[in-house]
Amino acid sequence: MFVCLCNGITGQVVAEAIADGASTTNQIAAACGAGADCGRCRRTLRLLLGTSSGDRGGVHT
Amino acid sequence: MSPADPHPHSMVIAADYRVPNPERVWPLLKRRKSALAGIGAHHVLLYTSTHDHGRVLVTIGVRSREPIVELLRSRVFFDWFDAVGVEDIPAVFAGEIVERFGSIAPSARTAPGVVLAAIASVDDVTTLAAEIRGALTRFEAAGIRETRLFRAFDDGHEVMILQELDDEDRARRWIDHPDAAAPWITGAGVGAYPPLFVGKLFDMMRIDE
Repeated sequence: MFVCLCNGITGQVVAEAIADGASTTNQIAAACGAGADCGRCRRTLRLLLGTSSGDRGGVHT
Repeated sequence: MSPADPHPHSMVIAADYRVPNPERVWPLLKRRKSALAGIGAHHVLLYTSTHDHGRVLVTIGVRSREPIVELLRSRVFFDWFDAVGVEDIPAVFAGEIVERFGSIAPSARTAPGVVLAAIASVDDVTTLAAEIRGALTRFEAAGIRETRLFRAFDDGHEVMILQELDDEDRARRWIDHPDAAAPWITGAGVGAYPPLFVGKLFDMMRIDE
């Protein structure tokens, strides 16, 4: 899913930033640009921070 | 999609979010018809949650040469979220239809159904489509009238599934005891993916090109 509409950043890209060590929304913004402009996607970024696998973790059998 | 692509692509953009007043959503969408036409929108559907008051699902069918990133960045979406009172912009699904699996002919439908929507990550979209095809008899027995499978542009594993069921009881039973060919039921609600959406079609708008 597209998480940051301003910069066209997807959940996958945010998940990679988290996997690389970003642990706050500011660090995610610095790493990939998500949330760096209007900041209105930061609630979703916090959700992703709460599930360190990002978008994934669902239905892989 | 490449920015220089000369052919318009059919795509679906979907967002599941909360609004302070669901009654305001449809009139505001209708008021934005020309702006939506400007980005190539041809159909807009609004679903409202049956039990989760304030939760809505909007799907927009778009035909455009613009890359999806440019479309999502357009003021149309930001203005729209502002108008309905959404401060926190939700994650947005953008993709294309893979297949529509209809098990009940529209003429046989006697009443509007209940819509169950899910966005999830799956192993393989082609395999999933084949599994759904093989399970249609069971889907029909479970009260599923139609299943639409969409594939995300940005993630080869991500799908959106919209199913229409006979009624709310059937939808609840399907959620509690999903078929083996419906792995998305347990995959929704992870990370940026919204929880399963159960609702009804509020209205639909066709926008002439």
